[in-house]
Amino acid sequence: MTYTLTRVEDALAAENARYPLGERQRVEDPMQQQVHRSVFTGKLEEVLNSTVNWGRKHSLWPYNFGLSCCYVEMTTAFTSPHDIARFGAEVIRASPRQADFMVIAGTCFMKMAPIIQQLYDQMLEPKWVISMGSCANSGGMYDIYSVVQGVDKFLPVDVYVAGCPPRPEAFLQGLQLLQDSIQEERRPLSWVVGDQGVYRAEMPSQREKHRDRRIQVTELRTPDGI
Amino acid sequence: MSVVNPELRATDPPDHRVGLLTERLRDQFGDQILCEQATLTGMPVFWVSRRALVEVLTVLRQLPEPFEMLFDLSAIDERLRSRRHGLPETDFTVFYQLLSVSGNRDVMLKVALSERDLSLPTVIPVYRNANWYEREVWDMFGIRFEGHPNLSRILMPPTWKGHPLRKDHHARATEVDPYSMTVESQETEQQALQFRPEDWGMQRQSDDTEFMFLNLGPNHPSAHGAFRIVLQLDGEEVIDCVPDIGYHHRGAEKMAERQSWHSFIPYTDRIDYVGGVMNNLPYVLAVEKLAGIKVTARIQTVRVMMSELFRITSHLLFLGTYLQDLGAMSPVFYAFTDRQKGYEVIEAITGFRMHPAWFRIGGLMQDLPKGWDRLVQGFVDWMPARLDEYERAMMDNSLVRDRTKHIAAFDTANALAWGVTGPNLRATGCNFDLRKQRPYSGYENFDFEVPLGNNGDVFDRGQLRIEEMRQSVKILQQCVNHMPEGDYKADHPLTTPPPRERMLEHIETLITHFLQVSWGPVLPANESLQMIEATKGINSYYLTSDGSTMSYRTRIRTPSFPHLQQIPELMRGGFVPDLIAHLGSIDFVMADVDR
Ligand code: SF4
Repeated sequence: MTYTLTRVEDALAAENARYPLGERQRVEDPMQQQVHRSVFTGKLEEVLNSTVNWGRKHSLWPYNFGLSCCYVEMTTAFTSPHDIARFGAEVIRASPRQADFMVIAGTCFMKMAPIIQQLYDQMLEPKWVISMGSCANSGGMYDIYSVVQGVDKFLPVDVYVAGCPPRPEAFLQGLQLLQDSIQEERRPLSWVVGDQGVYRAEMPSQREKHRDRRIQVTELRTPDGI
Repeated sequence: MSVVNPELRATDPPDHRVGLLTERLRDQFGDQILCEQATLTGMPVFWVSRRALVEVLTVLRQLPEPFEMLFDLSAIDERLRSRRHGLPETDFTVFYQLLSVSGNRDVMLKVALSERDLSLPTVIPVYRNANWYEREVWDMFGIRFEGHPNLSRILMPPTWKGHPLRKDHHARATEVDPYSMTVESQETEQQALQFRPEDWGMQRQSDDTEFMFLNLGPNHPSAHGAFRIVLQLDGEEVIDCVPDIGYHHRGAEKMAERQSWHSFIPYTDRIDYVGGVMNNLPYVLAVEKLAGIKVTARIQTVRVMMSELFRITSHLLFLGTYLQDLGAMSPVFYAFTDRQKGYEVIEAITGFRMHPAWFRIGGLMQDLPKGWDRLVQGFVDWMPARLDEYERAMMDNSLVRDRTKHIAAFDTANALAWGVTGPNLRATGCNFDLRKQRPYSGYENFDFEVPLGNNGDVFDRGQLRIEEMRQSVKILQQCVNHMPEGDYKADHPLTTPPPRERMLEHIETLITHFLQVSWGPVLPANESLQMIEATKGINSYYLTSDGSTMSYRTRIRTPSFPHLQQIPELMRGGFVPDLIAHLGSIDFVMADVDR
């Protein structure tokens, strides 16, 4: 598997730098190199990494942040019929400082963008971003003067959820994809041990993964009955 | 209190009162009334001179059946409009739409402005809710209002260059350089949003205390979206506050000038984004007026049914969040369970949950699916017991009562002066519901009541909506029982998309079909307007067609905009928790404010 590496020291703001901050480069799985150095430390690190990641992915605290219509479907995922607690992500936090991930649920307005950036900066590492809905993914149907054409113009996005709005189930699927990718992550285990970079796994594209199965559908149900 | 005479309906032509009004104005103002414009808006439209504007408004405000409410105020950039035969020369036109609740009628005044002299006197002394509307016109068109206390941008960021609704301003984000943000520009933008009390004539301290300025929003759990309000506090007490909007401006009105009449429908869903297809209704009705389409009874009834379903899901969302803002955790779970039930019905019929965009010009996207009645009946049977339970568990709860009774109360006169409509107006006891007063889409055939409140406080606004849901359930039952047979598309050349069967006759019909589907229908040049009783109040679309495949100007009047403008007056002297309770009781979504 290939990874995207962001070095910690690069993520500091230089004078007049452009968002998103931090140099990213594609690298091989750092674990491979470890293994060549010493089989024992390599294994130990792998066990530690996956234990920590297992803990992280099952206790993701979302930041209570909504922009527009998609937020209603996001909230729906938190209520009884969809029950996000099944995935350990029900502890909504009102402060970015206590949250693990932020869902950009809705349209990203130019007037709002600097504020979103500030809220993101206030979140502590490790932190992740889910972009929910066409608006946040790409501007969606709002190719209009007041809308940023995709929140990834200034924030690093981990998972994109398609739809306008995505169903609550789709949001939950996005959350699970985020969990999968967190499981593969390599982060510094401590400030003194080893490499201080953040390695994010390059996860396979869902579209490609499911394409073969999807194009095999030959019969579509007519909408005349329920 | 009942101020409405149900016998009189402004839309019923010919109304002898229009003649009287014209006479009255002509007598008093002579040639200051430049002309009367014939439109399909269903109301008299007068062009008045700039000099006489304030005086004419004052007279209309003081008639025996006064125009109590400034319903809407906006402008049109007329520089590229070609078909405006017989109307006064103008580059920019500002229009004032007034509503008389006592007389159940409307009137519109228009003022012509030349590009070289874009200024008008402010009308705040006559209608105080003109304040935000005038700021919006300044922001969008760059027209100045002399004497306005704070003519600053309201929707766009303070650093914005240009006025978006002018015809020479770009519409698409992709027409200009892609957006980027640097560390420095982020800082500058944040600085520009900084609140300075002096700009709003506020003191930083009084004789004995220093005030605290609290910035609530634009991201706050109880601000219901991207809404900001800055509070001037003395301890817990709110001395004054300044709502700040525009964090949710999606340029829907400009978008309408770039979409065909047909392809704008999905954008209407996203205006009041919890109102679903209810938003399609005023738009398609206004377009149908322009096109001269009459739809079948079945289409009307299905439209009413779907709209009322969405009224219930919207009110349920209101109820859940309203009580959550008061600190009750569980109602939101109950309410969303019911919403899910509602969505099951909506989804089975329209194929989508929140934004089905299911109404069409001259009809519906498709007919009701087989078995729809069973589904709707299931929902109708489910709801009443739940509503009773909500009432007992929540509205009878003494904590809820203490937090909401006599909080943020206002009376009918105050509501009308601020342009408040819908449940919030009816909570003051004013019986004004367009479904009764000016039935549209066949509402006159239904048997339902209009619930009213007494005190116009936070409690009444909550209670009233539970009652409204009961009435909506009643309407749904009547739809199930009496759904008329008929076509789901009107038999008219401008029905879009046209029935497919008609395409396959010969090459002519094929070409016509192709053009109408690819370019969209061409609507005759004219102006039309339709108001409806939406979930949150009166929503209206004012369409100007220049005889093309796209709208020349689409004005969307939304109820939540004036509702937010009213907040400071109600909150002065209140406490912070009262503000939170009030915000919960208004029932607004930011898309319905900023569009
Ligand atoms: S993607 Fe669609 S539903 Fe989501 S915020 Fe944008 S317009 Fe609304």
